[in-house]
Amino acid sequence: MSILVDESTRLIVQGITGREGTFHTEQMIEYGTNVVGGVTPGKGGQMICGVPVFNTVREAMEETQANASVLFVPAAFTKSGLMEAIQADVPLVVTIAEHVPVADMLDVYHAAKYKGLRVIGPNSFGVISPGKSKVGFMAHRMFKPGYVALMSRSATNCYETVLMMTQAGIGLSTCIGVGGDMIPGSSFVELLPLLQKDEETKVIVLIGEIGGDEEEKAAAYIKANVKKPVIACIAGKNAPKGRSMGHAGAIVGADGTGSAQNKEAALRDAGVLIADTTDDIVRILKTMNL
Amino acid sequence: MDLMEFEARTLFEEGGLPILKGMTVESTDQIEGDFHFPVVVKAQVMTGGRGKAGGVRLAADETELKKVASEILGMKIKQFTVQKVLIVEKADIQQEMYLSILLDRNTKKHRIVFSPQGGVDIEQTAQSNPELIFKMDIDPLLGYNSQDGIYLADKAGLTGDLKKEFAALVGKLYGVVKANDCLLAEINPLITTQDGHLIALDAKISVDDSGIFRHSRLVEYKDAHTVEPLVREAAQYRFLYIPCDPEGNVVIMSNGSGMLMSCIDHITRHGNKVSAVLDLGGGSTADRIEHGIRILFQTPGAKILFINIFGGITRCNEVALGIRNAIENQKIEKPIVVRFEGTNKDEGLKIIEGLPCVIWADGLIQGEEAVRRQLQ
Repeated sequence: MSILVDESTRLIVQGITGREGTFHTEQMIEYGTNVVGGVTPGKGGQMICGVPVFNTVREAMEETQANASVLFVPAAFTKSGLMEAIQADVPLVVTIAEHVPVADMLDVYHAAKYKGLRVIGPNSFGVISPGKSKVGFMAHRMFKPGYVALMSRSATNCYETVLMMTQAGIGLSTCIGVGGDMIPGSSFVELLPLLQKDEETKVIVLIGEIGGDEEEKAAAYIKANVKKPVIACIAGKNAPKGRSMGHAGAIVGADGTGSAQNKEAALRDAGVLIADTTDDIVRILKTMNL
Repeated sequence: MDLMEFEARTLFEEGGLPILKGMTVESTDQIEGDFHFPVVVKAQVMTGGRGKAGGVRLAADETELKKVASEILGMKIKQFTVQKVLIVEKADIQQEMYLSILLDRNTKKHRIVFSPQGGVDIEQTAQSNPELIFKMDIDPLLGYNSQDGIYLADKAGLTGDLKKEFAALVGKLYGVVKANDCLLAEINPLITTQDGHLIALDAKISVDDSGIFRHSRLVEYKDAHTVEPLVREAAQYRFLYIPCDPEGNVVIMSNGSGMLMSCIDHITRHGNKVSAVLDLGGGSTADRIEHGIRILFQTPGAKILFINIFGGITRCNEVALGIRNAIENQKIEKPIVVRFEGTNKDEGLKIIEGLPCVIWADGLIQGEEAVRRQLQ
C-alpha cells in the first residue's frame, strides 16, 4: 500500500511549460510516476515531455481522468492554481512554491475542506512512495522502499533524516512534506488516520517545528487512535526567540502552545518517542528491527 | 513585518477607521500647523514599553511641544534610536477597550479578540479576569456579520449609535486586515470619547512577509525598516540573515530554515553559541555563495563558519566554487567547516580539496564535532 500516491496515481502538472515544471516533469516520469498531462493557460494543444498540455484543469481532468495534480507555479499564482484544481474536483493537489501569502492559504484551506479534497503544501517538496510514484521535486535517489512513514514540516531536515535512514538500510512506505508554512493544506493530524490504516506502514515519524499547534493536535489524535509506534523530533529548540508585537499573542497563546517544550510534553504524554535531533530518529529506528 | 504606529495609522485611515489627526516628524523644524493643546508626543519605534521608557509625553503649548519633541527624538528605547515622533491632540477618554483581529494559525481563521477593559493592563486583565476577554472566529466562507459586532458592543455596555458605530468599526478593521495581508491589527486602546464617538488611539499592525510584494506601500515600509546593515546587505542578494546570540562565535550558512534550526540546535546542545545564520534559499550560484560568506564573516565575534548544504536545487559544485572564491578573493583566514550532500557532491569535493581554512565534514553530526574541535 502506502498512502496518497502509488502506482494508481494519474498526475497532471500545473505549470508544465515553465522551466521548473518541465524539468521536474521529466524527473517524475523518469522515476516512474504516471504523468498524464499538463496545464498552462494559453498553451493548450502542445505536447511536452510526451504528454498533452491543456488550457484548463477542467479540460485536463476530462481528457485524462487524472486523480492528482502538482503545481509548479510561482507563489503569486499559487492561490488561483489551487482554486482552479479544487473547483475541478482534483482529489489530491500538491503545491511546491514557498512564500505563498498566508491569507491565500486560509481561503484555499477552507475551500478544499468544503469540497472534501486534499491539498499538500505549500512550501513542500511533495509526496513520494518510494519505488511507486513521486509527486514533487525531492532528490528521489536516496529514498528506498520500506515500512517507515515520514512526515516533515521542513524539507532539509527530512532529507537529512532520509539519507541517514537509507545509510542504515531503513526504507520508507511514504514520505510527505507537509510544508513549513503557517497554514499547510494538510497537517499531521489530517494524515495520521491514513497512516494508521496503511498496512505497509509499521512506524510513523513526525518532524515538527516550533510554532503553531500541529504537533499538539497530532499528540491528541495519536493518544486516542494510533496504535503504531510514533517517533517525533521538534526542530528549533534553540532558535532565537521571535519578537512579537502587540498583546494578541500573549492573550491568545498564554497556554504555552507552540514552544518545543509544550510540543514534546504533549507528544510524550501520547506515548510518542521523542528524538532530540534528526540523527536520534535513526538511532531509535535502528532499535526497532524493521 | 511589524509596522510602526504612524504607518499602521495610515492603513487605518485608508480603511475608514477613526483616528486622531496627527503629524509625524523627524525634527522639530518640521512641526507646523495649529494644534489644539495639550498634545501627546509619541516616539515611533519598533518595540513596546515606550510609555514606561519616557517615549510618550504630554505638551501643554507650542514651546513645550518643541522641547519635548527634541528630547524624544534621538533617545534610545531598548536598542532602538527614536528617529520619528508622532504628535496627536490629547483625547478626552471616557472608556478604554481592546480590539484586535489576528490570523489564527490554529483555527486557520481570522479571529476577533475584544475586551471592554482595554489599555496598558490588558495582558494582566487576560490573566486575572479571563471572562472579560471575548474571542470570536470569522468564517472565511461567510465573512463578518455586523450582529457579531453588536454582540461585543453589548458586552462593553455601548448603546444607541455608538453600538452601530462599533459594529461597523469591527467590519472596517477586518477590511484593513484583508486588504493588507495583515497577521494582526490591534487597537489598544479603542476609546469612547465624552462626546460619544469611537477613536482608535493606538495602531499596531503586523503583516505577512509573503504578502508584502502585492502592496506597494508595504514594500516602501519594508525598505525603510531594514536598518541592520548586514541584514540589509544580505537582502540585496535575496538571503535571509538572522542575528542570533550576541555572545556567540559560530556563524552558519545553510539552505532552508529547518536545516538552520537543526544546525543551531546541534551547536547549542554541545555548549557553543551561534551569533548569526544565513539562509541561502534554493538554487544559489557560486558568486552569491561568495557574498554570503563575506557577509557572515562580518558578524561581530564570528570565529568560525559552518556551511551545511543539502543540495536539491542548490548544486554542491556551485557551493564549493563559492567557498574557493571567497577564500581567494576575500582573504579569509578563519576556519570554515564544510558539509554538503546531494546534487553534484563529488564535483564539489574535488574543488574544495586542499583549500586552506576548509575542514570537510561528511555529515551534520561530524560538522558539529569539527566546529567544537576548532573552538577548543
